Amino acid sequence: MLSFVARKLIALVATLFGVAVLTFIITNIAPGDPARLIAGPNATPDMVETIRTEYGLDKGLLEQFTIYMSDLAHGDLGRSMVSTRPVLDELLRYAPATIELVLVAMVIGILLGVPLGVLSAVYRNGPIDHVTRIFSMSGVALPAFWLGILLQLWFAVDLGWLPVSGRLPLVATPPPTITGMFLLDSLISGQFDLFWTALKYIILPAFVLSMPCVASILRVNRAEMIEVLQSDHIVAARAHGISALRVVGVYALKNAMLPTLAMIGLRFGWMLGTTVVVETVFDWPGLGLYAVSSALSSDFKPVMGVTLFIGFLFIVTNLLVDLAYAWIDPRLRKA
Amino acid sequence: MFESLNRRQVLAGLMASPLLASGPALAFERTENGNVIVFGGNQAIPVLDPHVRYDWSTRMVQQAVYDALFKYEDDPAEIKPWLAESWESSPDGKVWTFKLVDGVKFHNGDPLDAEAVRYSFERGLKLNKGVAWMLKEFLAPEDITVVDARTVRFELKAPYAPFMSVLPWWYIVNPKEVQANEKDGDYGQAWLTDHAAGSGPFILGRWEPNVLYELKSVADYWKGWPNAERRPAGIIYRLIAEPAAKKAALQRGEVDIVETLTSDDYMLLSRAPGIVVESHPGSTTFGIKFNTQVGPTADINLRKAIAYAMDYDALIAVYNGAATLETSPFPGALRGHIDIPDMPRRDVAKAKEYLAKSAYPDGNITLKYIYMNGLEEARRIGLVLLDNLKELNITLELVAETWPNMVALGSRVETAPNMTSVYTTPITNDPDAVAYQYHPKSWGQYYAMHYYDNKEVAQMIDEARAEMDWDKRAALYAKIQTQIVADQPEVFGMLENRRWALRDYVKGFRFSPVRLASEIDLYQLYIDA
Repeated sequence: MLSFVARKLIALVATLFGVAVLTFIITNIAPGDPARLIAGPNATPDMVETIRTEYGLDKGLLEQFTIYMSDLAHGDLGRSMVSTRPVLDELLRYAPATIELVLVAMVIGILLGVPLGVLSAVYRNGPIDHVTRIFSMSGVALPAFWLGILLQLWFAVDLGWLPVSGRLPLVATPPPTITGMFLLDSLISGQFDLFWTALKYIILPAFVLSMPCVASILRVNRAEMIEVLQSDHIVAARAHGISALRVVGVYALKNAMLPTLAMIGLRFGWMLGTTVVVETVFDWPGLGLYAVSSALSSDFKPVMGVTLFIGFLFIVTNLLVDLAYAWIDPRLRKA
Repeated sequence: MFESLNRRQVLAGLMASPLLASGPALAFERTENGNVIVFGGNQAIPVLDPHVRYDWSTRMVQQAVYDALFKYEDDPAEIKPWLAESWESSPDGKVWTFKLVDGVKFHNGDPLDAEAVRYSFERGLKLNKGVAWMLKEFLAPEDITVVDARTVRFELKAPYAPFMSVLPWWYIVNPKEVQANEKDGDYGQAWLTDHAAGSGPFILGRWEPNVLYELKSVADYWKGWPNAERRPAGIIYRLIAEPAAKKAALQRGEVDIVETLTSDDYMLLSRAPGIVVESHPGSTTFGIKFNTQVGPTADINLRKAIAYAMDYDALIAVYNGAATLETSPFPGALRGHIDIPDMPRRDVAKAKEYLAKSAYPDGNITLKYIYMNGLEEARRIGLVLLDNLKELNITLELVAETWPNMVALGSRVETAPNMTSVYTTPITNDPDAVAYQYHPKSWGQYYAMHYYDNKEVAQMIDEARAEMDWDKRAALYAKIQTQIVADQPEVFGMLENRRWALRDYVKGFRFSPVRLASEIDLYQLYIDA
């Protein structure tokens, strides 16, 4: 087990190195002169040069790369040209909002996806199955920005039940920063009103983000359940007169959970990288918004920082899924 | 709430158009200290330092927390004395002396004296960022002298007629506070990124990058308030990226002012109860810049042919009528603007005449039209032109580029596209601000992608900036405008109206065309409800 984790960790470092090299190359071959943009539309050539020198862009690409990698080894992700701040500080500022959003979306995804998957497998080709099929197909097919704006119009503008966008009301004071996730922080500090308010703000964006996730969990879970429900040990369990609920909910579901779990892990990393649309529509100040606004202004260091960060989380999630596999399926523990 | 709905209500809810039901208006935020006005905009303020950056959102907040010697107000823009009480210039226009208003204090209580003015200009020039370009060619830091506590003198290297017109953008910072927060000789840059050391009508409140920026009003602001009893307790500038979300937030009353909606949304909102749309002729020009040196568009007859083929009415239609055609390269809000009598307007016969005279009498060429990715209006204008140019047998290829790529392409004459649609906003109300875009020294900048080269015009521009007599300057600018139009370095397009949608209880809105894009003067606003 220990060597398994160690091997995975080495792979993690190697992968991150690869990601760093690739993003460095991609961002640097992209056209666009960040120094000129930062200097402003009317800046004279020597003003542009001031910026270039300040951020080390006057050096050769290879030298820039060596400096970046050695800084990286010391945990320094460089400085954003747009905000003039260290990228690491900014990542730590924006990451909690994104992680909070993805976690809530994940919970919605599991709470909707798994039971609906089980139901549609048990009542295969019945009305429930058809309805969930339509639901899951639209979950994948509906573009997030469209769904997001539509839900804003219904729930915020027309019905007035939920706020349009943001994380908290403008005049509300955020909870003391512990994790940076408002839901968690407000619970820890015992501000239940604030928790309720923050929940109202997160529900729409998290739901929109979770839609493709619900759909894929549902479909995978359904397929697995159908297979498991036909297997011998389920037939045997039924023959023994074990209650249907127990057969489905324990014996079948536990066996069907392996691929579902893999899907959940994949979806988690996938959602981290794709929150940008939802964050834009709902003005959720997270990594996605940060990455896109940085990319649009050719601000390379934050783009590389976000890529590395999400890559890191992706790999860690997969590692956790691998470990969870071993926990659910004892046969894998020996490997 | 869910239980109380019956099926009929749900159906009614689903069928109600979002536009008919504008929803419950929560109105402006009320705090213990008074009303807070909320402005919803899409551009962040990463660096507030007044000598390092400026763009519309940054400068809106800079103007709120800092003061300058002068201030732009009203339409047409006027330069109003602010920190400067009186001033005089030597006859040759090289020595300028300013006397400051007595008793002005920075927010921390330090006096705003001549040394503060000297330090601020020195800081701006030495940092060589942001506003530096406006003065660096004419002013050296050591040529600013403190005469006495209330008098400061500038000695310019050469006469520079537009000198006064840039002074409103040089904000005065508190030297003591900045120096106290200096790190490794950075002139306090790191600190001023999200702090302020000013004397303006507001101080900074909460500063949450990419979320909101809060301003709190100063009760005893030295210049007083336009409407003292109704002075807002503060203003929150809140970031909302999507136009649809902005509109929804305004309808719901979560914000009180929004900017950059679609033309259709402005039309709809202007009819909505409780909402007012402010629409004013701005000074941002839209032009389709030709590359006048490389490629087919180096041929003036081809450029003229394209200019006459363009359907100018469509330019206005794209903005639902909220735009006016350019009648000169200079926007109307600029001093010295004249209407050129024979501006090209759609005339297919004339276009064909010019085409016949060009090196491409049968057309048969493909030209590129570059527009900024995501700018729907610029794309639609491109489609109109594509259609118009078919009549000349010219194929137009529309290419969307990101802003950094557009700037990079335009930075060299070899890569500057055949045609690029560019919006430009002059920084002051002085004609030099636009005229200089047609000077060879501007080549490489996005607004000079035309690489326009006319030695006579360049000479007149140089002459006009050094001329202190306004009548003589105006005559020169009339000639400059006429000649630029004759040379057709671009298709002169239109001036889009600047538009904002406000809740009707927000009062005091005063438009001034020199402010950038969606920038407004927050100092004037108050709530009356």
